[in-house]
Amino acid sequence: MTRHEASPYATVMDDGQLTGRPIVVSGAGPYGGDLEVPEPLVTGGKKWVDVDRDICMHAEQFPTKKWWIAFSIALAFLGVLVFALITLFYTGMGILGVNQPVGWGSFIINFVFWIGIGHAGTLISAVLYLFRQQWRTGINRAAEAMTLFAVACAGIFPIIHLGRPWFAYWLVPYPNARGPLWVNFNSPLAWDIFAISTYGLVSLTFWYVGLLPDLATVRDRATHPWRKALYNAMSFGWTGSHRAWRHYESAYMILAGLATPLVFSVHTIVSFDFATSVMPGWHTTIFPPYFVIGAIFSGFAMVITLMTFMRGYFGMKHYVTLNHMEAMAKILLFTGMMVGFAYSTEFFMAWYSGSEWEGFVFKNRAFGPYGWAYAIMFTCNAIIPQIFWFKPMRRHTWVLFTVSILVNVGMWFERYVIVVTSLHRDFLPSSWGMYALTAWDYAILAGSFGLFFTLFLLFVRVLPVVAISEVKGVMDPKVARSNPTPAAGAALQEA
Amino acid sequence: MTPTSTTGILGHFYEPADALAAAAKVRAAGWTHFDFLTPFPIHGMEDAMGQKKSWIPYVTAVLALCGILFAQGLQNYVMVWDWPMNFGGKPFAAWPAFIPITFEAMVFWAALGSALIAIIAGKMDTIPQPPPMLVKTGATIDRFVLWISATDPKWDAAKAEAFVRSLGADGVRLVDVGGGADA
Repeated sequence: MTRHEASPYATVMDDGQLTGRPIVVSGAGPYGGDLEVPEPLVTGGKKWVDVDRDICMHAEQFPTKKWWIAFSIALAFLGVLVFALITLFYTGMGILGVNQPVGWGSFIINFVFWIGIGHAGTLISAVLYLFRQQWRTGINRAAEAMTLFAVACAGIFPIIHLGRPWFAYWLVPYPNARGPLWVNFNSPLAWDIFAISTYGLVSLTFWYVGLLPDLATVRDRATHPWRKALYNAMSFGWTGSHRAWRHYESAYMILAGLATPLVFSVHTIVSFDFATSVMPGWHTTIFPPYFVIGAIFSGFAMVITLMTFMRGYFGMKHYVTLNHMEAMAKILLFTGMMVGFAYSTEFFMAWYSGSEWEGFVFKNRAFGPYGWAYAIMFTCNAIIPQIFWFKPMRRHTWVLFTVSILVNVGMWFERYVIVVTSLHRDFLPSSWGMYALTAWDYAILAGSFGLFFTLFLLFVRVLPVVAISEVKGVMDPKVARSNPTPAAGAALQEA
Repeated sequence: MTPTSTTGILGHFYEPADALAAAAKVRAAGWTHFDFLTPFPIHGMEDAMGQKKSWIPYVTAVLALCGILFAQGLQNYVMVWDWPMNFGGKPFAAWPAFIPITFEAMVFWAALGSALIAIIAGKMDTIPQPPPMLVKTGATIDRFVLWISATDPKWDAAKAEAFVRSLGADGVRLVDVGGGADA
């Protein structure tokens, strides 16, 4: 597919004019029939030079009041995280809710939750790239940043879950003076170390490679020599040479091709942490696909949440249009149904397997003492997204925003249900027990959101939040081109 | 590291299609040290400029193999040779359990290595470029810029300028930043 080719029917449309349906040109098809052309991805008749200004502006001017308010709140929550972690390290694991028989508590729930959030970023940047979904260009940069920050949040939890986080480096296999004492490579927990660190670094690479041409754009707009030099170094002196683009595009395609199986492998391995155990409710073959689709589901919900803010407060309405939001709502509907299907399959298999323990665990999940958590999970994940069958709902900002929040609540409870209900009543009724989060568990969960939003708000201040060069590539050159004016020519003659 | 050329000629085009047409003409006229500086990659430009396909995929394949060998080597060394441990009578070389890490290591080596080498290749496997800090081309904004470096064997400033103008380029100018060509 050629990204630059001018569509003869591309029109200049405003945001309010978008319908989410193709523009029909009657009689223009190859055999005299109707030709359907998609609506433009960038609205408002923007020119290429406007794209630079609209997107780089946020990194070039002094932060707005709204940004400071949001940043203060995020920073306050980050402070809560730091305080809670210091208390945790100083006092010990006893301040948390975990105990026998529920030894995996909120930390593992939060870990799976945050890793899951990250998955949508990779899906948007890699899978939608391979499928040539051009609407991804408006959202991929922010979604990839979301991935990085979500992985950063996720990475904290297994380490603090160790109880003695200062020994976390023991998880890394390297020749050491303890024997050498190696990790057990048969253990899914050792696989996790490789999966999460690979995921984090490959996501970072993918994101940075995508940033290179945009960093050069920021450099060329910069006026202060230090700023120019900094962004030049960060872009490795990018000139836009087509001899460099050739390797760049090849590498980008390969990164997308590698990130696609990677994203599926990561949550598969996270699910192995559960599935390779012998606990009823965990020891099932459905776990890898069930975890992966749940991760994509929750991640897309988080992308919708963030994009609502970017549209509203950062003026990105022309680049992240209602058509983008609708496309994401469709993915939410689809993945929500897959998740609902997985819940039902689990019940069917619990009955069909004939295993007494499996059957009990699932009855206990839905109707036992944690039935309320199961109800929240099922309602938020399987029922509420059904509202997106209706087109007006898919294009309604507040509906999208509310559902995206509810989906993430539901997905947090999904992990709660998986972790807690299997552990709290296992084979031996004498060892049954209950689990509840303490104030410290809640503080660390809330604090992780503080870390996430602090990082995200800093990102929008220093880097282009939309992939400038990719957005330019999907615009109609006839509309977006600059017209030679003597003034513009003169500006470029200085040098 | 970057081959830069301080002397050359620049000409602007405003649409990708114009740049494509110009590229074919520049190539046909026998120039070799020319390049197009563009805000985004143009489909078909490789053919128009007479470039070969990128060799990065071969690099990826080699690196992926290295990753596989590294992971298999590490796991077998540890679990079979250096510290064999008996887990419920299972074999020491429990190869199915080694697959997840082998896969992750393959992706890790291939992805990071390919990205790094592609960035380096973008600087090395090229013709001398105008130095980005000194020459404002507009190529990262909205211009499609033809650059002919003075290192070209058939370089002649006056002829080059006349040629670029004949392509219909706008804003044609001779760049001489350092006072002489060097590569």
